[in-house]
Amino acid sequence: MLELALLVLACGAATYLWRGLGVVFSGRVRPESALLTWVGCVAYAMIAGLMARIVLIPTGALAETLLAERLLACGVALAAYFGTRNNLFLGIVAGFAVFAALGALRGG
Amino acid sequence: MASARPETRAGVATYASPREAFRAAARISLGAPSAVLAAGYIGFAALAKAGDFPLWAALLSTATIWALPGQIVMVEMSHSGAAHLLIVFAVALTATRFLPMTLSLMPLLREPQRRPWQLYLAAHILAMTNWALCVRRVPELPPEQRMAYFVGFALSNWLACLAATAAGYGLAGSFSPLVSRSLALVSPLYFLLIMVGETRTRLGIASLALGAAAGPFLYRYSPEWSVLAAGLLGGTLAYFALRGRA
Repeated sequence: MLELALLVLACGAATYLWRGLGVVFSGRVRPESALLTWVGCVAYAMIAGLMARIVLIPTGALAETLLAERLLACGVALAAYFGTRNNLFLGIVAGFAVFAALGALRGG
Repeated sequence: MASARPETRAGVATYASPREAFRAAARISLGAPSAVLAAGYIGFAALAKAGDFPLWAALLSTATIWALPGQIVMVEMSHSGAAHLLIVFAVALTATRFLPMTLSLMPLLREPQRRPWQLYLAAHILAMTNWALCVRRVPELPPEQRMAYFVGFALSNWLACLAATAAGYGLAGSFSPLVSRSLALVSPLYFLLIMVGETRTRLGIASLALGAAAGPFLYRYSPEWSVLAAGLLGGTLAYFALRGRA
């Protein structure tokens, strides 16, 4: 338990590192510098890689669903999002509803 | 309570006092922005429960990490048995986006009578959702109302998501398998929409595409290293391919 608490706190500190550095550097570093641009690319690619992995090769509860269902839900969410002028909430609700409906049709 | 309503002049809303700015921001925040984030956190809590991550640790992670991708990385990597040092390193990398975000917002909140510790506290409650709105809205306000507006907005997000983490965790057991499976898809949907919808630069789009291709591919070889490796590989490729042309 102590080990898990320390892990979470260390992850919190690791996240805060960037927030704190942002305050320290605000007004000193150019936001468009090469290092920050590269760092941003790596962060974007990492999050996209993780999300693509969860959708394509899921573990846990999602592993019991079909790839086609997950992809269709993503497609519907994107269509609803752009169809409602970038309404995040409606996009997520639409994707969620279609995903749940497909699962129910397949037999729960 | 006429002062609670923003006075609009030439499209710019201002408030009677910092207190009114705080309240108005909290009201706006507790609408769609918090609902979207809370849906993500309900999904995160379901994911945490499915990965045998205890409630107290899930709540502690929302309070201290306060960044959905980092929290998902932590729960997923911890479940697949990755070394702790590696998990902390991966979480640190997912959080690098906070550096440019704080770098751009803090100068707007900085004013002569503002104590530095207030800026350091404000940086903790910043999230992608409130940053996107506040960085646009805050410059329209008088300097003495800006911090109040940001804190009202971001603190409401933070509190709403702590509640959502607990609610999602508590409800996850009572949900049918169908609902908990569906909730596990909410976080990926959230970031899919945020990233596809809000990424405008070619460099950003290339990073997303290459990362999305590298993630599942590398996962087959090394589940523990794949998150980090996909970021480094996809991001670095995108950076060097499009450097100077973004």
